[in-house]
Amino acid sequence: MLLFLGSFLATLLHAVLMFALAPLLAGLVATLRARLLGRRGPPVWQPYLALRRLLAKTTLVPETATALYPLWPFVAFAPLAACALLVPGFSTGMITAPLSDFITLIGLLALARAAIVLAGLETGFAFGGAAAARDVLFSVFAEAALLVVLLSFVLLAQRATVDDIATVFASGHVGLSVSLGFALAAILAVALTEAGRIPVDNPAGHLELAMVHEAMLLEYSGRFLLLFEYAAMLRLLVWMSLIGSVFCPFFMARADAPWTWPLGLLCWAAKLCSGAVALAVFEISTAKMRVFRVPEFLSVAMLLGVLAGVFLFVAARIGT
Amino acid sequence: MFGLPGQGMHLRVDALSLLFLAILVPQVAASAIAGMGRSVTFWVFIAGMVCALLAADAFTLIFGFELMSAASWLLVLRGDRGPASLYVGIAMFSAACLVPALFLPAGSLAFVLVLLGAGAKAGLAPLHFWLPRAHPAPPAGVSAVMSGGMVKVALYVIIRYGFVEYGAAAQPWWGAALIAAGAASVLLGSLRAMLEVELKTLLAGSTVEHVGLIAVGLGVALRAKAMGDPALAALALQAALLCAVAHGLFKPLLFLGAGAVKAATGTTSLDWLGGLMRGMPRAGGLMLVGAAGMAALPLGPGFAPEFLLLHAVIGAAGTGGILARIGFTALLAALGLSAALALGAAVRLVGIGWLGRPRSLHAAAAGEAARPVLAGMALLAACCVPVALAPGFVLALMRPVILLLVPAAQPAPLAYAPLWLAVLVFGPAAAAFLLLQKFARRGAREVPVWNGGFGRPPAWLPFGDPLTQPSATGFAAPLRRALSTDLLPAAGDPSEVFLYLPLLRLHMRVTRLAERIRRSTIRERLAFVFGALVMFLLALGLEQGG
Repeated sequence: MLLFLGSFLATLLHAVLMFALAPLLAGLVATLRARLLGRRGPPVWQPYLALRRLLAKTTLVPETATALYPLWPFVAFAPLAACALLVPGFSTGMITAPLSDFITLIGLLALARAAIVLAGLETGFAFGGAAAARDVLFSVFAEAALLVVLLSFVLLAQRATVDDIATVFASGHVGLSVSLGFALAAILAVALTEAGRIPVDNPAGHLELAMVHEAMLLEYSGRFLLLFEYAAMLRLLVWMSLIGSVFCPFFMARADAPWTWPLGLLCWAAKLCSGAVALAVFEISTAKMRVFRVPEFLSVAMLLGVLAGVFLFVAARIGT
Repeated sequence: MFGLPGQGMHLRVDALSLLFLAILVPQVAASAIAGMGRSVTFWVFIAGMVCALLAADAFTLIFGFELMSAASWLLVLRGDRGPASLYVGIAMFSAACLVPALFLPAGSLAFVLVLLGAGAKAGLAPLHFWLPRAHPAPPAGVSAVMSGGMVKVALYVIIRYGFVEYGAAAQPWWGAALIAAGAASVLLGSLRAMLEVELKTLLAGSTVEHVGLIAVGLGVALRAKAMGDPALAALALQAALLCAVAHGLFKPLLFLGAGAVKAATGTTSLDWLGGLMRGMPRAGGLMLVGAAGMAALPLGPGFAPEFLLLHAVIGAAGTGGILARIGFTALLAALGLSAALALGAAVRLVGIGWLGRPRSLHAAAAGEAARPVLAGMALLAACCVPVALAPGFVLALMRPVILLLVPAAQPAPLAYAPLWLAVLVFGPAAAAFLLLQKFARRGAREVPVWNGGFGRPPAWLPFGDPLTQPSATGFAAPLRRALSTDLLPAAGDPSEVFLYLPLLRLHMRVTRLAERIRRSTIRERLAFVFGALVMFLLALGLEQGG
């Protein structure tokens, strides 16, 4: 009972932190990027102000929208919120852990993407449709790469839930392996694509023709836009937590052992901060790609994922 | 009375045939409600399928199978003559393979013939080229049962012979062959579904994909069974059978919806549709359920089978030799690619057809689907709910089937818990809704679409210029361009280019030759008879002389 209470409280704390801090992470990346470019940049809490501003705005509905127009923001937000509850942050062993199967996460991310693509097609305007077609193009390659990377994790950990994978990797039995290096490179490429960052998409872009994620939301305003923007922030946090808990699961707390929580929280914060720094540095040092380069970029990721698997098979062959 | 002399015809019911009968029931009921109930041919078609499923001996099975083929050929003929002759050709090929196979002793040759015969009927690559042509031809109610039921009967034959009748002689490579054909179907089917513009052809492409998914599951199971791994075999069988159940519900639903679109607008080309959600909201809502199943989205009917199948393939990648393991890694990449393609196809179906602005006056004037069609669709959507939210329960019902096919199996409980997942998804959604109700500015104002600052359309274009809206062709264009170099030859499907077109050319040549013989003059005929006589006498004389 006490154990369950501990897990429950840890899950609650995790949920509160995830939902409260998602805008902060987005603001941190934006500020760091501006500083690295030599500008002063917005304050770190700027996303909170932007969300509050959207709360006060009137919601405009285009004439050509169908009755499903208000549905898509919620369908885009809800699976990402579920992902935020499933992906371990500062601790492993939360009460949502048994559900956090990697394939479920991939499915939830796909559901959110479907909602955003449908939102882009909803009003029948040109930029939204073009961006929707591009997003589908990217997703085809990203999903294949992600599944192949997942194979390496499952083969190494002999488990399929993110929580178990983090626990096994933290125990140190796996050690450093070439496969994990390839897998890291592949999953970073997929994460950059899914989160809509440079080199695939520019979240700060203002040219409709070059936008992907933003262009699908151009006809949304007010509270619906707020949900989409918040979902995008949540997605960045989910991807960073996911990569952090799989590739750097050390010092993560146990949900049923409250005395380990402070160290876990500190570590999580450190992981997210270093992730934000790495993302900002990477974004200022590369340019955005042409749309038809992205499939090649993701195919390389897929190839790296396959190589990670092949190295594992060869290692198992030599080992026995 | 009937049947082979001295043997007769026998029927029997076991768990496997009961499962496939259960797959047939909802879709047949829905098609009958939706308007096919008065057609005698339709009921003969159903009787053929039931006879094939209940057969206890090879003759009855062939009898039912061919009755099904012949009746469905008549039904295809009502729609279009072109695909009907292709269809009858494939049906004859499949009979030519099946009839000898079922009377051969159990072994690899017999299995290959069964795989060719039943696989051609199920639309397994590379013999799937007829399916996207023939399935869209008949009325929607028949298309629904052909896609949802007839391909399942063909898969039933593969299961019956691969696992039960020839079970003792099974080799691991049988499974590998099934996996290879399935993987090719999955890739090509999902690609067709993404690229096709006709609504029903698109759905038929998606059927090829789902047949492929079932075949991959069956192949993994067959291989694992032959290699003595009953746990993996049970997992893969769960995936394949659940996929058959789910596909038998959402695909007929989508086909009935396509028929409603045809009735309301006179076309099924996505390039002429758009904004149907305004005119036919109920059919649109039901189509959303089917599209969620087709795209294998979580909390939809298609996700649990996909989940099980991916786990089975990951499990299979941990067994066997190194080449097999690398093959399974590639298979996983192909499954990921096609899962995303299927999602793109479903999004395109809904987004281009039902959302946005109408692309033609017909689409703008579309009215709600007829009440019986809506009732049939609603019946299928209601059946989707238990598969979507309680797949564990459905799998528990299937336990006897899995034990029949793999006696040593211990089917594991499902690791995916949709009800808890629904709590995690709907909880935040409800919270967001309530918070926005409380804190955000209420109400919404209807405004002209912003459209990147473009000028407003003239008054005589009430829905704006259709050409400024991406079409179905345009939506698929980036993918066509990205994949056209290596995966697709210029004309599309490789099996069309390398199999169908050469067959078509051969057919034309033979027809021309036959026509030439028919039109020969009396002199030519006499010369032929005389020449034959001379040859005959010459041969006789040489024989005598020698």
